[in-house]
Amino acid sequence: MRVDFKPAVTPWKEAGHLPFREVYCLPFLLRAQNSDGGWGYHPESQSSVEPTAWAALALREGPKPESPQALERAAKWLRQAQMADGAWPAAADQHPGCWVTALACLALSDQTKAPDETVLKGLRWLLDTWPAEGSTWSRLLRQWHKKSGVVVRQNHALRGWSWTPGTASWVEPTAYALILLRNIPDRFHPKGAVRRRQLGERMLYDRMCPSGGWNAGNPMVYGVPGEPRIGPTAWALMALVDYKERAENRASLDWLERNYENISGPASLALAHLCIRAYGRPVPPPEPKLGDLYSENHFLRNVVVAAWVCLSLGSIPSWLQSSSEAEA
Amino acid sequence: MSYSNSRLTPSFNRPPSKVVIRRVASYQDDLEWLVWESLVEFQLQVRDKTVLIKPNFVEPDAQEVINTHPAVIRAAREAFLRLGAKAVIIGEGPGHERDTEGIVEGLRLRDYVGALEDVFVDLNTDEVSRVPTRTHASRLKNLCLPKTVLGADFVVSMPKMKTHHWVGVTLSLKNMFGVVPGNCYGWPKNILHWAGIGRSILDINSTIAPDFAIVDGIVAMEGNGPIQGDQKACGVLVLGNDPVAVDATCARIMGLAPERIDYLKRAALLLGNLQEEKVEQRGESIASVRNPFEVLPAFQRLRMQEGEI
Repeated sequence: MRVDFKPAVTPWKEAGHLPFREVYCLPFLLRAQNSDGGWGYHPESQSSVEPTAWAALALREGPKPESPQALERAAKWLRQAQMADGAWPAAADQHPGCWVTALACLALSDQTKAPDETVLKGLRWLLDTWPAEGSTWSRLLRQWHKKSGVVVRQNHALRGWSWTPGTASWVEPTAYALILLRNIPDRFHPKGAVRRRQLGERMLYDRMCPSGGWNAGNPMVYGVPGEPRIGPTAWALMALVDYKERAENRASLDWLERNYENISGPASLALAHLCIRAYGRPVPPPEPKLGDLYSENHFLRNVVVAAWVCLSLGSIPSWLQSSSEAEA
Repeated sequence: MSYSNSRLTPSFNRPPSKVVIRRVASYQDDLEWLVWESLVEFQLQVRDKTVLIKPNFVEPDAQEVINTHPAVIRAAREAFLRLGAKAVIIGEGPGHERDTEGIVEGLRLRDYVGALEDVFVDLNTDEVSRVPTRTHASRLKNLCLPKTVLGADFVVSMPKMKTHHWVGVTLSLKNMFGVVPGNCYGWPKNILHWAGIGRSILDINSTIAPDFAIVDGIVAMEGNGPIQGDQKACGVLVLGNDPVAVDATCARIMGLAPERIDYLKRAALLLGNLQEEKVEQRGESIASVRNPFEVLPAFQRLRMQEGEI
């Protein structure tokens, strides 16, 4: 049966602004779950780690989990998708494992309990897997680029996490790994976690655009400042939420607030809304624009976008709280 | 050719390619008629086939200088439907931005082609299959690629005409980076950079060989492209049945020697025709529309010299 994102009820815009999360997004996520327990990027597509992790994180937030059975099946699917080395692949056909490992671990973590072996194995893989900037080949390549006049302004000694093994550090995968590390109690951290966390945080600050905000991870190319983007800025800020008062965080949050009204897509809008709330600043409700976009495109039936919208409109997820808030 | 029947033909055994240059003043011109009229010249066999148009979408841009303009996409979509295509899908996997809906909304694509759900596929989140690359210029050996691309009967690469700060120019061959899915390889698709941009271009285009190319050079980009360059009013559409020949023609229009663009020179070995004498040129002549582009100092060596013009 085709699972449709189009609701059988009156479109949001004409329905007196019903609670968007409860009426559309959560039911969509529940309907879009595959029989194997996972989610694909779209309804009826093959289960993948990223949409499964985000859908599970979205469903579990709130006063009580929306559907314990759906979450249980999701956890089961995630566990069976883990590879022997502890990583998770982005797609069934892909190997080796990659950036989605942090998301799978986050979805399987419960801050009230000790992490189980599945999560610890994933965490060990993340800590043992270094981006490629430090390799001899990489250093030679940079020397060649310098000679060719290519100028990329960043400190390559500060390594975070890459999207795929054997490539460079980028903002989003580094943010995901840092969020995971913050949510696993220190006493369970494998050896080397403190150093990786510090390096990752310094790498994020190093990659910040000159006037605040982040793009994928190139703050300056050929001497021209990079333009920040909403998604990477929101993720970097959420990863660095323990440093709310740092000037870099404040400047980046200011940039996010200035650009909030001009956001044209639901994914960016949800992330920006979530991030600004996580920092405790007031933010206009996103529902009117989300409602318009939903009425037109149904978020392109994208499960990850629907999950982010759910997270954005619910209470601040516990895994986004700063360490001091979590302790309190 | 697309994925299912793409084949590599060595240059000595390759028939001449056909390229049409059209002069276009603005996106308000009657592009639908112009593209239709141009496509008819090629006698394309697209009846009852699924056509995939692969534009270049990077990020929202009010200057209309970064992304393929939706007016060109609409014109091509309408033309292929008139030629009898069963379906014409627009598919793109932006390389720097996860919020694909935000990009297409920013471009107002919906205003040009109707409901996006019916015609647009985000290649970054499509289902994938792992396939071996048909050449091994890079170390990639195989790639997870979107099923929408693998299943298309006829693939059209539709880039913006731009300079590129790593490889000189980005045209129809480089545009095919967008079929590599972000959900597997990230944003940006950094694995392609580490495997060598030029070499990856060859492996991707040998595996998903575009059947046709339409380059939006009406408003183009020069200097520090493909994002931070300057607007260049070039006033052309370039169409052809051989992406290598189309890209070589565009390079000549831009005042750059295709023989000195590393990946284009390599592409000429197996993928298409680079030499001007092996291209049947229709429409405007290259000389009549040549409009030299500014390039970064690292690419001054690409400029055509007196004797090459």
